[in-house]
Amino acid sequence: MARARVEQHPATGTTLVVMVGLSIAFLLFIAFLNVVKTGSVLSEANLLYAALVFYAGAGALYLGFGITGTDSYIKFASLATWAGLIANTGAVAHRWYEAGHPPFASIYEMLLSFVWTLAALTLIAEKRYGVKVIGTVTMPVAIVGVVLMELLPSEVRPLVPALQSTWLHVHVTLAMLAYAACALSFALAMMFLIQDKMKTETFLAATSMFTVGIYGAILTRFERWGGLNVVAWDTENKTEAFISRGVRLFVTIPDLGWLMLLVFVAVAAPLVLYIIARIQKNDSLLPTANRAIFVSILLQALALIFFLLRARNGQYPSLDAEGLYATTLAASPFILSALVGGIFANLLYLLMLWRREDLERLLPDADALDRITYKTICIAFPLLTLMIAAGAYWANRAWGSYWNWDPKETWAAITWLVYAGYLHMRITRGWRGRRAAYFAILGFAVVMFTFFGVTYLLPGLHAYA
Amino acid sequence: MALSLRTASRKTWQTLSSIKTGVVLIILVVIFSAAGTVILQRPMTDPEDMQRAYSPAMLRFLDATGLTDVFHTRWFVALMILVSLSIIAASVERFPNAWRFFARPYKSPDDGFRRVLPTQAQIAIADEEQGLGAAERALRHMGFKAERIVRTDSFSLFSERSRISEMAVYIVHASLLLIFLGGIVDALYGWRGFVTLTPGSSSNQVEVMKGAARTLPFSIRCDGTGEETYTDGTPKRWWSKLAVVQGGREISRKEIAVNDPLVYHGVRFYQATYGRTGKLDHLVLDATPTKGSTPQEISLAMKQTVALDADTDVQLVEFIPDYVFQDGQVYARSNDVVNPAVHMIVTSKSKNASINVWLPAIPGIAENANSPYSFDPKDLKTGFYTGLQVSHEPGQWAVWSGVVLMAIGLTFVFYVIHVRFWIVPARDASGHLILWVGGTANRNRDAFEIRFKKLVEQIQNGLKPETTAAEKLADSVPGASIAGR
Repeated sequence: MARARVEQHPATGTTLVVMVGLSIAFLLFIAFLNVVKTGSVLSEANLLYAALVFYAGAGALYLGFGITGTDSYIKFASLATWAGLIANTGAVAHRWYEAGHPPFASIYEMLLSFVWTLAALTLIAEKRYGVKVIGTVTMPVAIVGVVLMELLPSEVRPLVPALQSTWLHVHVTLAMLAYAACALSFALAMMFLIQDKMKTETFLAATSMFTVGIYGAILTRFERWGGLNVVAWDTENKTEAFISRGVRLFVTIPDLGWLMLLVFVAVAAPLVLYIIARIQKNDSLLPTANRAIFVSILLQALALIFFLLRARNGQYPSLDAEGLYATTLAASPFILSALVGGIFANLLYLLMLWRREDLERLLPDADALDRITYKTICIAFPLLTLMIAAGAYWANRAWGSYWNWDPKETWAAITWLVYAGYLHMRITRGWRGRRAAYFAILGFAVVMFTFFGVTYLLPGLHAYA
Repeated sequence: MALSLRTASRKTWQTLSSIKTGVVLIILVVIFSAAGTVILQRPMTDPEDMQRAYSPAMLRFLDATGLTDVFHTRWFVALMILVSLSIIAASVERFPNAWRFFARPYKSPDDGFRRVLPTQAQIAIADEEQGLGAAERALRHMGFKAERIVRTDSFSLFSERSRISEMAVYIVHASLLLIFLGGIVDALYGWRGFVTLTPGSSSNQVEVMKGAARTLPFSIRCDGTGEETYTDGTPKRWWSKLAVVQGGREISRKEIAVNDPLVYHGVRFYQATYGRTGKLDHLVLDATPTKGSTPQEISLAMKQTVALDADTDVQLVEFIPDYVFQDGQVYARSNDVVNPAVHMIVTSKSKNASINVWLPAIPGIAENANSPYSFDPKDLKTGFYTGLQVSHEPGQWAVWSGVVLMAIGLTFVFYVIHVRFWIVPARDASGHLILWVGGTANRNRDAFEIRFKKLVEQIQNGLKPETTAAEKLADSVPGASIAGR
């Protein structure tokens, strides 16, 4: 297979670039026609659309690079990323000007800033550190971010009194930067494991475990008779519906729970097969496990489609109140990102399964990756510290107390402690290589839990984010 | 006995100061804090919700172990104290060494050191003075100041930068202890409470969270409160004009808003809530004489009497925000202004008569028909109250200084690197005169090695000023063996 690829180089090289270029031109042309009809060229929606088109082009080219290793793709891919970043910057600036505050006040605005940071970091990692393949991972995430934004309510909403503070903006900016650095350190640690000759089936187990975690979390919303609870949407105020302060109203979408349960079984299958293979010391089961991953991706896609169809718009009964209540996708950003994230992780695994040799050739060597991971954490840790401090200072000004032990705060402190542990082990105990990489991955898992899990799974009132 | 006691205390000290203990303690803190976010916590959650969430036996167990209020139990506090002790012990244990390193820098390397130093190079030289001179110039070119070290048996160069970096980790640990100290002081001597004021009223009583009241040595007076809204009606800003009064004298004054508190003697007043009191501020009415047609607009506050003409007065005597009428009596159902009723008395001096006027006209008790005036309500303004969160946190200055100190310390830990160079003229194994160049950095060693190679090249170039640039490029490394790590 690898030999065949080398021979195909010249042909596929130009074809993909031309195809992506043409698609971008076509999509922009269509958009331009719409703009002529509606009038304003530089509206936020148009800029966001342009960013999406360019990021999609960049994603396709990066993926092409990841698969074929054709160097010329990278040039065009970073060009497309630059164009997307410019459009994205325009959208951020527009938003900032319209709203009169930095764009961090709602999930929509945070995604806008997050995607911007991600694209900027991708370019930095590529130009400064020569980690060319990173776009293969980050651009799909950026695309998902922009698509989510298209679904979420985007109008400028006034800030409630407690959120009108410079310190809040400082806090959220630092959080964004810190989390982006943690994400980068995670990606680098994964790359290190690839370069460190970690067995492909270990990645299989990890991917499957991650996906099982996702569907396990979604199934915490499983309702009797196979329903799935999602947050109701208050169409009038365009927010999540609340029964009382801090208590959300849930509606039950019938039968969707069964589907999620089925997909849970499907994504658990590779893990089960892996465990059996380990116990019986019988590697012949592993190809079956890989096939099970493939099947699970199809089922996950099915789950996503059904979720999109049923939760996009609809009236469903609630267990907590009489009558039917509306829900939209905007009310379930976490489930949506979890579903997309699961598919994405499994696709990445397939990419690694099929193209491992190429990846090993393209990535920097293990030592370099180990060092860059550590450096990224050296950036992330002070940012985390300052983020917690700024948050505490803001809380002190708004509520008269700098530390309340609410779940979000506590988990931010736990994140800080985990990275502090990493630094101690690395500096005083000389932990390098695998152990350090595992620690970096654990740190990012805690970050993800703090960001998503706390809001989705735990009781508490950090309701703004 | 005394000896074993000493060994025991030595053992305890060693255990406490070891990095392993530190990591185990960190893991314990993580586990218990995580438990505190998963299990519903006592003061914040309603008791009924707790009972709904857990079975009685489970709840008894959780309460007994303190898991329903993890962050305030004795054992969590004990754990935090252990963490502090561990940080102190680890720092005390390692500090003397680091201090020696810091206070008495190692300037003149001996043979043993030169043999084992990982980053080093040898450059062939013809003359000691010429070699050292070239090294000095090269160092200066890189922005380093070189120091000539003259000992009885040796003659060498030493150069370094940012020695303070060796102390940075102690700065970080000290800052963490400072933050803990602030937290402990606040836990012991701080308090939080709540006070509700209406415009014009003042109070020195604060309702503390545990239900008790606390008397302040001064009073706080509210001179006004209000709300600004966006065009769609969502609140934009709540404000209160407050004044501090002590001994009958007004001491300070401030308009506070959310995120902008008033501070007096370490006590902070935060705008927390804002709302209607359900009490009437004033009522605006049109009064029309029954035998006339020109209405006059009057404004009435509670218990206020207004003359309608030379003979007739009207007084506002009652305001019920949410009334019900039952068995010939008017009752108030709630304090929300949803179904208001007002009771006025119209007096006529000449007839010496008092007439009960009700708005709306409640059948049975209202005598509106007998009144010489008919009333038409125009506007009803109810009073507002402001809810102030009050807190006293004497330890917070330790916390904020700890945060600033930590930011400084972390900057030094991660971004300020202690770099040292030693340059010694010596003879190699075959007896040729060489310049021994060695260096270390306490962090970021790969970047340092590139720098070190550059320094060696610079020295070599400096040694042969007669060669052309092209030649320099061609043989920049002969005679030098750079040993990497």
